[in-house]
Amino acid sequence: MVSRLLIFYTCIQFSYTNVFSNFKAVMPRNFKLLEELEAGEKGSGDGTISWGLNDDDDMTLSVWTCMIIGPPRTAFENRMYTLRIGTGEDYPIKPPTARFISKIKLNCVNENGIVDPNKLEVLKRWQPTYSIRNVLEGLKKQMQHKENHKLSQPPENSQY
Amino acid sequence: MAGLPRRIIKETQRLMAEPVPGISASPDESNARYFHVLVQGPKDSPYEGGMFKLELFLPEEYPMSAPKVRFMTKIYHPNIDKLGRICLDILKDKWSPALQIRTVLLSIQALLSAPNPDDPLANDVAEKWKVDEKAAIEEARNWTRKYASAQ
Repeated sequence: MVSRLLIFYTCIQFSYTNVFSNFKAVMPRNFKLLEELEAGEKGSGDGTISWGLNDDDDMTLSVWTCMIIGPPRTAFENRMYTLRIGTGEDYPIKPPTARFISKIKLNCVNENGIVDPNKLEVLKRWQPTYSIRNVLEGLKKQMQHKENHKLSQPPENSQY
Repeated sequence: MAGLPRRIIKETQRLMAEPVPGISASPDESNARYFHVLVQGPKDSPYEGGMFKLELFLPEEYPMSAPKVRFMTKIYHPNIDKLGRICLDILKDKWSPALQIRTVLLSIQALLSAPNPDDPLANDVAEKWKVDEKAAIEEARNWTRKYASAQ
């Protein structure tokens, strides 16, 4: 009897914890993405990365068109690389997906332009506080990495 | 670390016990600061007959800063943009901690009854509202039928 009561009590405690005591305010997906959108509209500082909704009336906030300008003193220099980032329903608990539209030679990108989440640190060790911006910065860093920075690139403006 | 502030618990309980007529708001199962909201289109407005889905979030600083609210149902309204963001002074600079979730929801309901094209967020819609109000209202009715018909 006592143990039953105890179980019952624990259950109540558990659901109470679930509903009423998440200590930090966790921003839900859509509000986080709206903030990311606004940050993108303001620009990212040096202008070498940018992101915005693919369709400006996409109420689901799921498909983003992004751009990275290749960093100086690399094979990517002065080129504009376009990519799509997908933020699924479980974002930001689950990481986004990324796929290049512009052809690119980069070790973390497969032959169809898809970014391999196991080969990009920011996707592999994804945290819900990360954002689209972090993915783009991660990719830009890859372009500067010594295993990539001399890779000869496909013709400029070619697409998958 | 504190739990959910007393005020939020109180407001939630009251919203559930005495809901605003035409509006339902219930907290998300896993996030007590996130509310799923349904607003009925007010009578004698172009939104009449529609059921609009919204989401509301109480940020960490609430009630010192305003709740965040967004329409999830498409709506043709000069003060609501393509992504459902709402232009309403009490959600921005006119916010006061004396206001509540309830007052915010009432204000949104009132905004549906009285669109304000002079303080627009959706510029093309506001333009239409000013140039040809009759056509704009008809368009709002069409959108209500198309996207918000209560089922």
